[in-house]
Amino acid sequence: MSDLLLEGLVAGRPDRRGKGFRLPPLDQTISPGEIVALIGPNGAGKTTLLKTLAGLLVPLSGSVARPRAAYLPPPGAVGAGFSALHVTALGRAHLHRWSSGLTPADLGAARAALDRLDVGDLADRPFDRLSSGQQQLILIARLLVQDARLCLLDEPLALLDPAHAQAVEAAIRSLADEGRIVIASTHHLPFAARADRVLALGPDWAEMSTPCNALAPDRIRALFGVEVDGCPCCGQALS
Amino acid sequence: MGLVSGLKAALPGVGLALVALAAAMFVMSTGPLASPPAALFAALFGRGSPDAELALALRGPRLLTALTCGAALAGAGAGFQILFRNPLAAPDLLGVSSGAGLGAAVALLAGAGAALVQGAAFAGGLVVGGLALGCAALTRSGDGRLALILCGVVAGALASAGLGLVVIVAEPYSQLPAITYWLLGSFTRATLAEALFALTPVVLGAATLLWLGFRLDVLSLGDEQARSLGLPARRLRLVALAAAALMTSAAVALAGVVGWIGLLAPHAARLIVGERAGQLIPASMAIGALFALVIDRLATAFGPAEIPVGLLSAAIGAPAFLLLFVLSSRRS
Repeated sequence: MSDLLLEGLVAGRPDRRGKGFRLPPLDQTISPGEIVALIGPNGAGKTTLLKTLAGLLVPLSGSVARPRAAYLPPPGAVGAGFSALHVTALGRAHLHRWSSGLTPADLGAARAALDRLDVGDLADRPFDRLSSGQQQLILIARLLVQDARLCLLDEPLALLDPAHAQAVEAAIRSLADEGRIVIASTHHLPFAARADRVLALGPDWAEMSTPCNALAPDRIRALFGVEVDGCPCCGQALS
Repeated sequence: MGLVSGLKAALPGVGLALVALAAAMFVMSTGPLASPPAALFAALFGRGSPDAELALALRGPRLLTALTCGAALAGAGAGFQILFRNPLAAPDLLGVSSGAGLGAAVALLAGAGAALVQGAAFAGGLVVGGLALGCAALTRSGDGRLALILCGVVAGALASAGLGLVVIVAEPYSQLPAITYWLLGSFTRATLAEALFALTPVVLGAATLLWLGFRLDVLSLGDEQARSLGLPARRLRLVALAAAALMTSAAVALAGVVGWIGLLAPHAARLIVGERAGQLIPASMAIGALFALVIDRLATAFGPAEIPVGLLSAAIGAPAFLLLFVLSSRRS
């Protein structure tokens, strides 16, 4: 079990003149089993940060010490004509060196993961024909069979109806229960309220705190410039 | 992989390959110098009747050329379609066909012999394909696929321009017809030795694509997903593209530019075996070989003059492609 260590990490997308887009520096330690919700306005750099943590983008400065990572784009962003079972089993692709086919063990693991998330009945359906919510559950099942210890989820609840959002949230929790680190960006504040910690990403500041602190009305005002009446942590529904 | 499930997965591909072989046997047992399959097999191992040996010597190279080209173009086409997750991807995506055409035309212009023309075509295809890959490597776009397509278009256009130049400067009464005829494609020009020689890169490329198997499925999800799944996306894609370019170059060097097989066969195969690369590539190769046999048979079916197979493959392939498209869209 290893932590995610960020030391002076500056994520961003440089342009030719060295200006570009820079996120504020981050120094954090995140432990296995933790769910961190990443909140912030559109354009704050949530996706850039997630991709940098995943190793898909190079940090502008500072360092990331990470366990094996996997990045999941928002629902509906991955397309494939294969069966849901095959998509799930591809999570074990990196375990093969010389084999040209997936093994029965791979398929068994994939089936078990689908069953665990209660989507075993979708196994033989073509992935492209599933709803965004179902696809998201399949891709989380794929994270379960993949041995990634750091799961970076980009708006995993976007586009989903309440029932699917609930199922996906439960699936995310099962990722963390197995000792993975989960960092999920979201605009769904009740989800953030149930996370272990919340990382708020403002235009030029970043702040890691407990959900209660991060989602307090004054913090939400500072982050999004909107008024909310109530805090999800204190039992009051958000408007 | 478990033996049983491995065999089960290979079943459609093997079945289609057997159909293609049976068709080859059928072709050899009809038409001029027809010999029954048993006699042909005996002749293959040097113990046949003189008739069967003659049939094999005269028609064997042509049959082998058709099978090799059909399988190679279809396998490469399937590889490109999976990699780019684009149903319009075809073996000439990287400009390989245009490059091979340019290579052959330059060699014909220089008055080279048949073997040298084939060598030049093979080299031309690989050079232009390599140029496209090299240019794409210079760009830094997020998902490399768009860069590859654009660079392939550019490299192919340059090769086409070069080909146009060769056609203009070619001597109009001897060289130009030779170049035009070469470009229209034919399965008749290779000797047995040349056909066997071309088989080597085709087998090498096909084996590579088959080894990539489910890795191609992962690559079809895009660079980001492939890297998230722990695969070296760029390197694997380069290997796959090189394999497909190798197969395409060998096929074009052997038979000229025979279009549509590489586009059509994977679509037909997809209807039978689905999208997984492990099944799609062998099935496409078998169907491509079958299609090549059919158009080769048709090439001689109408009167004494042979119709160039490049023309026939387009004349049959284009409507067949439309039919397949309608079929597959109705299915979904």
